[in-house]
Amino acid sequence: MSWLPKRCVVVPFDFSDESIRAIDTALQMIETPAQVHVIHVLPELQANEPGVVWHTIDDEGRKRHAKNAVDVRLSDAKYQGIDVVVDVGDAGHEIADFAENIGAELIVMPSHGRRGLKRLLLGSVADRVVRLSHCPVLVLRG
Amino acid sequence: MRRMTRQVDALQVVVLLAAVTALLAFIAPATAFAQETDLPVEVAPTESGAPADTVAEEPAETVTEPDRDNWMGRVDAFFGKYLVAPLGTVLMYDFGTGRLFKSEHEKIPFVVAWLFVGALFFTIRMGFVNVRAFWHAIRLTKGDYDLPGDHGEVSHFQALASALSATVGLGNIAGVAIAVGIGGPGAVFWMIIAGLVGMTSKFTECTLGQMYRKIDPDGRVSGGPMHYLYDGLAERGLAPLGKVLAVLFTILCIGASFGGGCAFQVVQSLGVLRNKIPLLEPNAQPWIYGVIMAVMVGIVIIGGIRRIGATAEKIVPAMCGVYVLAALYIIGVHWRDVPWAFGTILDGAFTGEGAAGGMVGVLVTGIQRAAFSNEAGVGSAAIAHSAARTDEPVSEGIVALLEPFIDTVIICTMTGLVIVITGVYDAERYPEFAVFVQRNQGAQLTGMAFDTVIDGFSWILMVAVVLFAYSTMISWSYYGERCWSLLLGERWSIVYKILFLLFIVLGSIVTATNILDFSDLMILAMAVPNILGMYILSAKVRRALDVYWHKYKSGEVVVVKKDGGPVA
Repeated sequence: MSWLPKRCVVVPFDFSDESIRAIDTALQMIETPAQVHVIHVLPELQANEPGVVWHTIDDEGRKRHAKNAVDVRLSDAKYQGIDVVVDVGDAGHEIADFAENIGAELIVMPSHGRRGLKRLLLGSVADRVVRLSHCPVLVLRG
Repeated sequence: MRRMTRQVDALQVVVLLAAVTALLAFIAPATAFAQETDLPVEVAPTESGAPADTVAEEPAETVTEPDRDNWMGRVDAFFGKYLVAPLGTVLMYDFGTGRLFKSEHEKIPFVVAWLFVGALFFTIRMGFVNVRAFWHAIRLTKGDYDLPGDHGEVSHFQALASALSATVGLGNIAGVAIAVGIGGPGAVFWMIIAGLVGMTSKFTECTLGQMYRKIDPDGRVSGGPMHYLYDGLAERGLAPLGKVLAVLFTILCIGASFGGGCAFQVVQSLGVLRNKIPLLEPNAQPWIYGVIMAVMVGIVIIGGIRRIGATAEKIVPAMCGVYVLAALYIIGVHWRDVPWAFGTILDGAFTGEGAAGGMVGVLVTGIQRAAFSNEAGVGSAAIAHSAARTDEPVSEGIVALLEPFIDTVIICTMTGLVIVITGVYDAERYPEFAVFVQRNQGAQLTGMAFDTVIDGFSWILMVAVVLFAYSTMISWSYYGERCWSLLLGERWSIVYKILFLLFIVLGSIVTATNILDFSDLMILAMAVPNILGMYILSAKVRRALDVYWHKYKSGEVVVVKKDGGPVA
């Protein structure tokens, strides 16, 4: 990884303060905010949950709501122009796929760090992105 | 490289599945010795107090036990010895009350007392909201107060229907028959009483479910006891206790989804099918039914075929209607016996003439079966009701109190009346049916009761039973999956789903008594953390109820034109 300015950086976003800091870090590496691509990944719906059974919730609607929520969270002037994407699926895979599809040069993300059983079973999204990503991943320590 | 790492992910799943398989493989040799010591099959003694063993021998000629030498018998034996027995020792602990009474069935198990005392407490604490809010509940369900702008996923009616599809199941058909079989007609009376007071437990838990639900940025709602125990108790400065209770509830809910929400449904519906299809007899190939059901559930919960699951859930209210009409028809045919039936039920409630012995036995049986059927105080329904679209938590609690009413006071009473009025539970009148009572094959007994009046009605019942079982499994797998994902993360929900399907197959192999005991233990045990949390949070619910009720009475809760608005 060269230390030259990047043209395309992906930042996974989960509404936490840590992921806001990751966006701030990414903003220092690029020339215009449009080169930062923020992605929020929603878990898949279950076929047997009430909203699905009664057709009152669907992925399109969820993406729209989540996109609005991200836009609100990133309403500060310095975040204007950032590209926001919402996807549905397994976070690790979706982030890696998205980064590859848009030809990202770097992924910047925080690591929340789980302990105990969850650590063993889940690892962290950061772990999985590091393993799946086609490009370098900068993991920020909390 | 990417492909390789994906394979590694898949590998994790494969390793876990291999571990499960290894565990099952371990079961087989481990049970080799278990089968030698034959499991005590719980057989209720007859009125005359004849020892259970002698009664058990007679029906052996008519119904053949599964062969304990084959693999199905081994699985059954393992299940009974290592899962049911240890759990029962803890949860059914009777504080020595068993020694106070004459009959060995007359004792007050801890969880049953816990549920009933809790329901009574909440009924008084909430000022009989089950009575005073009844009409308001119906109007809320009709959608008279639905505000399109409110937060949530589904309407009051849809939330109630979803919760009902999980509660109305074989508990209403088989459970009542089991209650009358063990406790005599008087058990029906106590089931109704338990249903009436259970309405307030349901109100309290569903109000709390709404109060502490989480709405994700995408509008998806998640709530239930695991949330209100965790956050609610933390609010009261009891965070460590809340954490323990929430985790305990989550684990028990997963267990209950495998038991009452799955295997119990399979074993009881299988009982009805057996009457018509000899291939499913215990010594033939009952696992075929388990595999078919597992495939049908699997295509919804793993395959994600939404239409099938949705249809199954939506026809539940219609099926309830058909079932109640059929029961009313039978009661109509026997209209002369109706006063007698009510007399017998009332009489039995206070004297006790069933196998369970005196009044305490009848009372305990009735309450236990009612709780199993309507799940009031258990906490499960709060998961479904949390999704309702409202900004007034109390209003959804009020809608939820209709659930035990529909489930227990209407549907269970119908089954109970049919069984009492046709007399199928009575070993003297119908000695050929006594075996169903002794083996806890309740659904078969209900089937026979219907058949005595409408020849071939058991065919219709068979369809209803399979559909009830199916929709209950679909709904309960959602409860279990939510808890599982909360505990272990969304990524591993596939493992839960595979285990759920395994339990469907297991349900077709294991005997009715083992499944009944396991299901009872798991579902009733959920009430331990749930009701404890509800006690601690009851003051908050009461305050919210008072505020809402004042607004309602002063006309601030406005009637709006029904308009199914979009998710907020």
